[in-house]
Amino acid sequence: MTTLDAAASEGVSRPVLLTGRRASWLRILAISRRHAYVLWRSPHRFFDIAFWPVVDVLLWGSLGVFVSTQTADADRAGATYLLAGIVLFHVLFQSHISVATGFLEETWSRNVLNLMVTPLRELEYAAGVALFGLVKLVMAMGVVTGTAVVGYSFDPGALGWGVIPIAAVLLATGWAVSLFVIGMVLRFGQSAEIMAWAIIFLMLSLSGAFYPIEALPGLLQPLGAALPTTYAFEAMRAILDGEPMPWGVLGIAAAMTVVMAIAGVAFAAHMLRVFRRGGYVTRFS
Amino acid sequence: MEPVLVATSLHKRYKGTTAVNGVSLTLGPGERTALLGPNGAGKTTTLLMLLGAVEPDEGSVDILGHRLPRGRSQAMSGVGFAAGYLPLPDRLRVREVLTTFGHLYGLADPGRAVEAGLDSFGIGHLADRMGSQLSSGQRTLVGIVKAVLHKPRLLVLDEPTASLDPEIAHRVREGLQRRCDEDGTTVLVTSHDMDEVERLCTRVVFLAGGRIVADGSPAEVAATAGTGDLTGYFLHLAAERDRLAALDRDAPVAGR
Repeated sequence: MTTLDAAASEGVSRPVLLTGRRASWLRILAISRRHAYVLWRSPHRFFDIAFWPVVDVLLWGSLGVFVSTQTADADRAGATYLLAGIVLFHVLFQSHISVATGFLEETWSRNVLNLMVTPLRELEYAAGVALFGLVKLVMAMGVVTGTAVVGYSFDPGALGWGVIPIAAVLLATGWAVSLFVIGMVLRFGQSAEIMAWAIIFLMLSLSGAFYPIEALPGLLQPLGAALPTTYAFEAMRAILDGEPMPWGVLGIAAAMTVVMAIAGVAFAAHMLRVFRRGGYVTRFS
Repeated sequence: MEPVLVATSLHKRYKGTTAVNGVSLTLGPGERTALLGPNGAGKTTTLLMLLGAVEPDEGSVDILGHRLPRGRSQAMSGVGFAAGYLPLPDRLRVREVLTTFGHLYGLADPGRAVEAGLDSFGIGHLADRMGSQLSSGQRTLVGIVKAVLHKPRLLVLDEPTASLDPEIAHRVREGLQRRCDEDGTTVLVTSHDMDEVERLCTRVVFLAGGRIVADGSPAEVAATAGTGDLTGYFLHLAAERDRLAALDRDAPVAGR
């Protein structure tokens, strides 16, 4: 629906401004495009998409190959576990980091106040950053999978169609985690930005991307069991072992992701209220 | 005619300090108002509350009939904001910055508005420059073009000519005056340049200690204050603020 701004009665010609859903889409796409410009003109941002994924695959792929050649029943199953783990971890990492650093970009360029005084809604902003995050995710997954295939003869079809629901859970979990990071940056300022990287690597170790959580120290196992990602990676290993898709395990992962997403939205919304009440916008302007 | 902005009894405290204490302000269509006062008077906090970026402890703000914060998005489609201290987003060309904000305001195809805006401030040649390549004066001009792209009903400017050389400041004032005359825009501006205020505004509102202490035309306020001109009144308020701060500092502490 479009509407002419109420100016005719003033004898002033004002431009037609879109309203409703069309305006929402326009704003979401504007935010995505803005972040595309930033990525295109910031070579160092390609480290997240190309450099670190290659390093991760080389590290875990080579470790897997080496360990599997040291065991009596030498095969490449160990390497496959590790490679599938790192490939799927990058779904989580990329979906999280693109939204978290997307918001951090606004704080680094002191653009928060500029955005707050436009009609842009918070959900539209998050959707715009997440939408462009999907583009980055596709690029990064191409790099990770390509390196694993070329370097270690990794079979991307090893997980079959089961990879889709597992990746969907990890994608949504990554977005949910990024909301916690955004909330902390709103409340504590740029000193909290380190959490963007800290949280996700903590999750990598606690949710058993490469091993069952029983391998964790006993004290940490309950923490691992409380993460949806743990069940997603458990489903991945079951499929790699030739078992049918463990829908029950994946259902737990999906339910926990929904809870985490609701908690993330509530946390970010609360921190936004604290941000507005505390006048913290001046930190970023 | 319906007011463009109605703020009622705004209060804001930060960690035991009262920043704004009962400010009420109504702006009518086409009115040009300056919000003035020495540092610490509460101008920026008031402005940020009026824009919905800071939530008041008490009081309400309505813009174009939309109550904040619920109606913020609708209200902001009729508001433009520029501040001399705000940078442009990194790694974007001027045209890209303006197109992005045009879209955020709801302009489906902001191309013509961008060209016209840049030309009206004489900076059409900057369209393809990166934001980081601009001088501070050029950045301020682009920021003002960004704020008027969608011909807002209310234009809020925070120190628009601070740190600009006189030629650029003159160009900003001229451009603003022309655009606002053509578009019938309501303007709310903060500034420390009293000459600029007298040239641009028909109404001045002085804040001190978070309260409105004078409200009227520049001539009325200067006459009522008995200080001859706005600068005299400004200096008087700054001296009064310092005197009260000194009294506060020297006051004996109970129980000592």
